[in-house]
Amino acid sequence: MHAIDLRDVTKTFGDLTAVDDLSLTVREGAIHGFIGPNGSGKTTTMRMIVGIFHPDAGSVEVFGRQTNGIRTGLIGYLPEERGLYRKMIVRTLLEFHGELRGGRNVPQQVSYWLDRLGLAAFADKRIDTLSKGMTQKVQFVAAVIPEPRLIILDEPFTGLDPVSAESIREAILEMRRKGTTVVLSTHDMGTAEALCDSILMIFKGRKVLDGTLDEIQAQYGNDTIRLSAEGGAEALTGLPEIEQVRDLGQVQEVRMTLGADPQELLRALIARTAVRSFSVTKPSLHDIFVRIAGEDSRQ
Amino acid sequence: MTMNKILIVAKRDYIESVRTKAFLFGMIAAPILFGSGFIGIAVLRGKPDIAERRIAVVDRSGEAASTVIATVVQKNEHDLIDKDSGKQTMPRYRFETVAPDTANPEAQRLDLSRRVRPDDLYGFIEIGSNALRPDSTGEKNPDNGLSWYSNDTGVAGTRAWLSGPLNDGIRRVRMAKAGVDPARFDDLLGSVSIRTMNLVTKDEKTGQIHPAEKRNEAAAVVPLAMVMMLFMISMVSAAPMLNAIAEDKLQRVHEMLLASASPFDLIAGKVLAAVGRSLTSSVLYVGAALFTLNSMAMIGVVQLDLIPWFMVYLIAEITMLSAMAAALGASCGSPQDAQSLAMVLFAPVVIPIMMVSVIMERPNGALGEVMSFIPPFTPMIMMLRQGLPGGVPGWQPWVGLVGMTCGVIAICWAASRIFRVGILMQGKPPSPAELVKWAVRG
Repeated sequence: MHAIDLRDVTKTFGDLTAVDDLSLTVREGAIHGFIGPNGSGKTTTMRMIVGIFHPDAGSVEVFGRQTNGIRTGLIGYLPEERGLYRKMIVRTLLEFHGELRGGRNVPQQVSYWLDRLGLAAFADKRIDTLSKGMTQKVQFVAAVIPEPRLIILDEPFTGLDPVSAESIREAILEMRRKGTTVVLSTHDMGTAEALCDSILMIFKGRKVLDGTLDEIQAQYGNDTIRLSAEGGAEALTGLPEIEQVRDLGQVQEVRMTLGADPQELLRALIARTAVRSFSVTKPSLHDIFVRIAGEDSRQ
Repeated sequence: MTMNKILIVAKRDYIESVRTKAFLFGMIAAPILFGSGFIGIAVLRGKPDIAERRIAVVDRSGEAASTVIATVVQKNEHDLIDKDSGKQTMPRYRFETVAPDTANPEAQRLDLSRRVRPDDLYGFIEIGSNALRPDSTGEKNPDNGLSWYSNDTGVAGTRAWLSGPLNDGIRRVRMAKAGVDPARFDDLLGSVSIRTMNLVTKDEKTGQIHPAEKRNEAAAVVPLAMVMMLFMISMVSAAPMLNAIAEDKLQRVHEMLLASASPFDLIAGKVLAAVGRSLTSSVLYVGAALFTLNSMAMIGVVQLDLIPWFMVYLIAEITMLSAMAAALGASCGSPQDAQSLAMVLFAPVVIPIMMVSVIMERPNGALGEVMSFIPPFTPMIMMLRQGLPGGVPGWQPWVGLVGMTCGVIAICWAASRIFRVGILMQGKPPSPAELVKWAVRG
């Protein structure tokens, strides 16, 4: 059984089609990443899975049952637009969220997660006395109590310092180990590559990529060269084998023109300048993202 | 809809609101603020303006001035001092007679008006040339009556008080001209007291006829006080909700909650909390009012059978207002927008308050009856009419209750649909047409 099964889902707001005939399945117990530019339809899709929005067409199934707007304690949700009752005490607020999702042993779970994320000392503080990072961690706890079978995290790492981000990342992996299915959206391609078992890219409301990282990269072949040469990106100008250069500073990521031979490129480069490193590789997720979304923005 | 979720939301909202200083302050301050208005009026009535007032009289009939002035002065002397307290309760009036300028009456009026403005005169009376023998043109012709020129707003009551002795004076002149012996004037013009009685009733079961009792005028104040209490509690309980929802929307707290509870669950929970807050206040207010009346040996003026109706109307009013507050608050782009929508929200309680005096005059008139059956107005108008002497036909409160229940359900349903769309929408607030569209199409 799939954790999520979306079939031919469409959602419009007035004249805007936010999600257009989208179908996808999410395997149970996996971490599934949603990527896509701002306004591509990720949040709308997540809101439909959670039941906040109803699709105009198509069906949304969670663990084999159509949601139809019925809220279930099986799903935890951390929205991108964070907000908590600012005058409430941390523990009281978390217990309220846990009870609202029909949880059992909520006080014990609250204590566990406060401890787990280093918030125990702030349990009796008001939300408006916490730092932004701590408030985000409290909201994360509110999303995972009671222990959900599916958790939807919309940009969970945005605004977090590296230490807080690491503690959230570890918590996500721990939940996956316990069998929770995780869907997260992110603009950080490195996070998506490192954390997600499968990735979905939505662009203009439509699915443009879906699969594991290997499957996605395989669609683009080995047309990418990572190299380091004397003179940096300037040394690469005018070479006919190169379609596009992404300058990372010390390293350049090069996309070759269709049918170009990497050996020819290497010979041409050596003739021009001193080459320190040269490796043929698959395109990164970042590069694939830019190829899809960037092409459109250039047009 | 999940009852458990509604109760969880209601519990949170209720506890978080009643323990705030704002709630406690509002609960104590509201009756003080509302009550101070009435106390202020009572105090001002107890301390009337008793400064002497000079009034000029221009008699164009040429026959009435001296008698009219003497009659007014006599009445003024009679009413000047309160017999029980021995205190002066009204101003002393001094009169001066001004010979009429027949060549240019407008110029004379202008001169006298100029004397009124610097407070030399309080006003002037012009006795029309036909005042003793009005012709067929009637009231349209100022010569047929008396004219009162002043800056008096009418609230001060001078014109109303003068009306009696001025007419009395004119009648005395007419009777003298008709040859009536002046010694009989007081008997002929003497007024009689009018006792206000309730109606005679018949017990339908026993057939016994209950004679009419003298009406306790204070009893009419009780329904008015209950309506004012309904108004006050509605304002105190529902007003904060509009701002609170708009503020919560600004803080973006609802999206996470909407993943756990439906919009209807959230709005129902919030409405339930508002009802709880209002019942907390009302139990306190009603209890305090009954205790006070009992200690003043005035508990008899309260129609105790109205208290259950008061509670029903209170719950209905708060439910309607808080559901509307939730919908409007969710539609606002900011708490500032909420402020501007407050008047729309409070129309169901402000309009009946504006109509109170009209309805008290004719409780069973067409206006009172029609407004009683318009659900948003039912609580206050029906409450008022039920409490006034004579009451309402027995079926009316029940029909009103049915209509009100339907109204409450319809408003809550529409409000939850507006709430669902509005709460996640940012930017420009919707137009009234868009609100209707959200309510209909969701």
